[in-house]
Amino acid sequence: EHFRMKALILVGGFGTRLRPLTLSVPKPLVEFANKPMILHQIEALKAIGVSEVVLAINYQPEVMLNFLKDFETKLGITITCSQETEPLGTAGPLALARDKLIDDSGEPFFVLNSDVISEYPLKQMIEFHKSHGGEASIMVTKVDEPSKYGVVVTEESTGKVERFVEKPKLFVGNKINAGIYLLNPSVLDRIELRPTSIEKEVFPKIAAEKMLFAMVLPGFWMDIGQPKDYITGLRLYLDSLRKNASSKLATGTHVVGNVLVDESAKIGEGCLIGPDVAIGPGCVIESGVRLSRCTVMRGVRIKKHACVSGSIIGWHSTVGQWARVENMTILGEDVHVCDEIYSNGGVVLPHKEIKSSILKPEIQKFQLKLNNKKE
Amino acid sequence: MGSSDERVVAVIMVGGPTKGTRFRPLSLNIPKPLFPLAGQPMVHHPISACKRIPNLAQIYLIGFYEEREFALYVSSISNELKVPVRYLREDKPHGSAGGLYNFRDLIMEDNPSHIFLLNCDVCCSFPLPEMLVAHRRYGGIGTILVIKVSPESANEFGELVADPSTNELLHYTEKPETFVSDRINCGVYVFTPDIFTAIQGVSSQRKERANLRRMSSFEALQSATRSLPTDFVRLDQDILSPLAGKKQLYTYETMDFWEQIKTPGMSLKCSALYLAQFRFTSPYLLATGDGTKTAAVIGDVFVHPSAKVHPTAKNLLTLNYAQIGPNVSISANARIGPGVRLISCIVLDDVEVKENAVVIHAIVGWKSSIGRWSRVQGEGDYNAKLGITILGEAVTVEDEVVVVNSIVLPNKTLNVSVQQEIIL
Repeated sequence: EHFRMKALILVGGFGTRLRPLTLSVPKPLVEFANKPMILHQIEALKAIGVSEVVLAINYQPEVMLNFLKDFETKLGITITCSQETEPLGTAGPLALARDKLIDDSGEPFFVLNSDVISEYPLKQMIEFHKSHGGEASIMVTKVDEPSKYGVVVTEESTGKVERFVEKPKLFVGNKINAGIYLLNPSVLDRIELRPTSIEKEVFPKIAAEKMLFAMVLPGFWMDIGQPKDYITGLRLYLDSLRKNASSKLATGTHVVGNVLVDESAKIGEGCLIGPDVAIGPGCVIESGVRLSRCTVMRGVRIKKHACVSGSIIGWHSTVGQWARVENMTILGEDVHVCDEIYSNGGVVLPHKEIKSSILKPEIQKFQLKLNNKKE
Repeated sequence: MGSSDERVVAVIMVGGPTKGTRFRPLSLNIPKPLFPLAGQPMVHHPISACKRIPNLAQIYLIGFYEEREFALYVSSISNELKVPVRYLREDKPHGSAGGLYNFRDLIMEDNPSHIFLLNCDVCCSFPLPEMLVAHRRYGGIGTILVIKVSPESANEFGELVADPSTNELLHYTEKPETFVSDRINCGVYVFTPDIFTAIQGVSSQRKERANLRRMSSFEALQSATRSLPTDFVRLDQDILSPLAGKKQLYTYETMDFWEQIKTPGMSLKCSALYLAQFRFTSPYLLATGDGTKTAAVIGDVFVHPSAKVHPTAKNLLTLNYAQIGPNVSISANARIGPGVRLISCIVLDDVEVKENAVVIHAIVGWKSSIGRWSRVQGEGDYNAKLGITILGEAVTVEDEVVVVNSIVLPNKTLNVSVQQEIIL
């Protein structure tokens, strides 16, 4: 029924908030719960019959394209890139991709923000959109601190959007824009090919015409574009996996809470893993290791008796024997923490060796070298 | 040469509970002289050094602690070393020389030809027999052990100037503001019984002045000693300084290590120095092991025979024995679990260190419990206030908790990580 639907994923720019990880890999390809971030969205779109996904990017399409060809084949979905030559904001990219998004079918198209992780109840969103007959539908989600974001004020019974309030000082509501939209093709007529904000310029106009409707997103929601939220997001995601697909989670006497382990990873004796841990392909977790609330990327080796918590360990890094890595330590690609070292919130750029303890959160400076040799 | 009639008595000043407050919180539980360094009470090191003195008749420990605090130790060490050791309590402060004088009758009972005076909180190689030989050669009333230090640190101590050929003490100043000399007083001396005459001399002089003051207001303008009791005689200011340059006092220089054990951080450093010394004097005291049948030992390590270092927990096969050292001292009945890493630390009696825990630059108090995968760590700056981590008696560090550069007073349970804090 929806086979010919299209979708646009707003990938955006350099992913600076997820550095040092994004120094090695473009943000959409950074794995979350052992799967590239963007694949979570593409799979959700494919599941409800979207046939073509357009990625709105302004950075490094070549690296992306190789991966995308791979996903295309595996998933049987068409993936194209729409590259901005200048930043176009949150609405401009839609105008840029106009030709790819509309065809004679007249079907609405999805727009997703690539940093968002959720259960993607897209089928329900389609039904909601059809039922209200408006021009645009957005998902909203309830948050504890709405003033950090833009609040969407709606009429409770219908979900009709009354107005947007950016970072309100007084409480006006607790629902914020979840970054998931379903738009009729006519919305594109409202967007010029210039830097435009969809929340500030486009949606308010549609709302004024009483044609914008908001649905409360069921399930969890997280913007995982920065490390702290990435780690919280993993907990929410694995919680959801426990409810919907618990067979994917690891079991065993060494497992506590929700843990995801790639089948090619090896875990030694006397370990205690979890809660809220993701271990990627080819990882080696030696004996006596404690992991909690952390992500271990592909090819990492955690040596004996080490303890890692609340951290992200980048691809092919190693954590030495008896080392202690915690409190939002983010290790980039190919970082080696020596034996017995303590890292408390260290942010370490790729290809470095950590030989002395980091007692307070800090960024390990990157020294420019003439060649690419490890320091 | 000394004849076999020439008996020697050694006196070790051990201080008291109101002194050495910098040694808290460890001194809340144990008199500082009994705190273990390299597995033996602090006072044991000068005591066993005294044992090497030919014709040693008696060792006296003089201090302000209650007798009962030393009763057990003194009787057991007397038996162990087969030399009489006795603790004498000063009823009130007499000063560093006055204390010696106060017990002169007891000290002179054996009619010794020489009297050694040592400070318990000094960490060094105690070259006492060599000092005695030199002293006899010099023929003075006293010989002082001295060591060369960096000029910047010299003013923390008593600075001495000695004649380079005769080794006579020419000048002595306590903690001078300006630079006098880079040779300092180690707090180890050997005297002939004439020292008591010298001390009595100071005492009498003071009495006279006190009497004079009652008679003339001129003396009211006089020295700082007017407020000191007549029997309060300080070795440095009242004996060494005035006698310098009078061919009475001499110096003997040591080229070995020397430190003062004023703080817990320094006790960790001195424990390492004594462990290193054991490697030469008594290597059988140090632990060995390669991790296959017992702990893997790196560098100098002392493990009390009653301490247990476990291999595996439950029925695991590949978890290692602990890796211990360098510079680790483990006291009686401690239990060290599998996969533990200990570096530069003192683990006191009855401590339990659970699996995979890490302890670096720290002192773990008696009966404490260190949880699985927890981390107790200091930076290793022995002189800084929070340079090493100290856990008092019966502290519990729960699983996975990290304690860095902190001092934790007895009976606390830590269930969250701390850094740079003093936990009351």
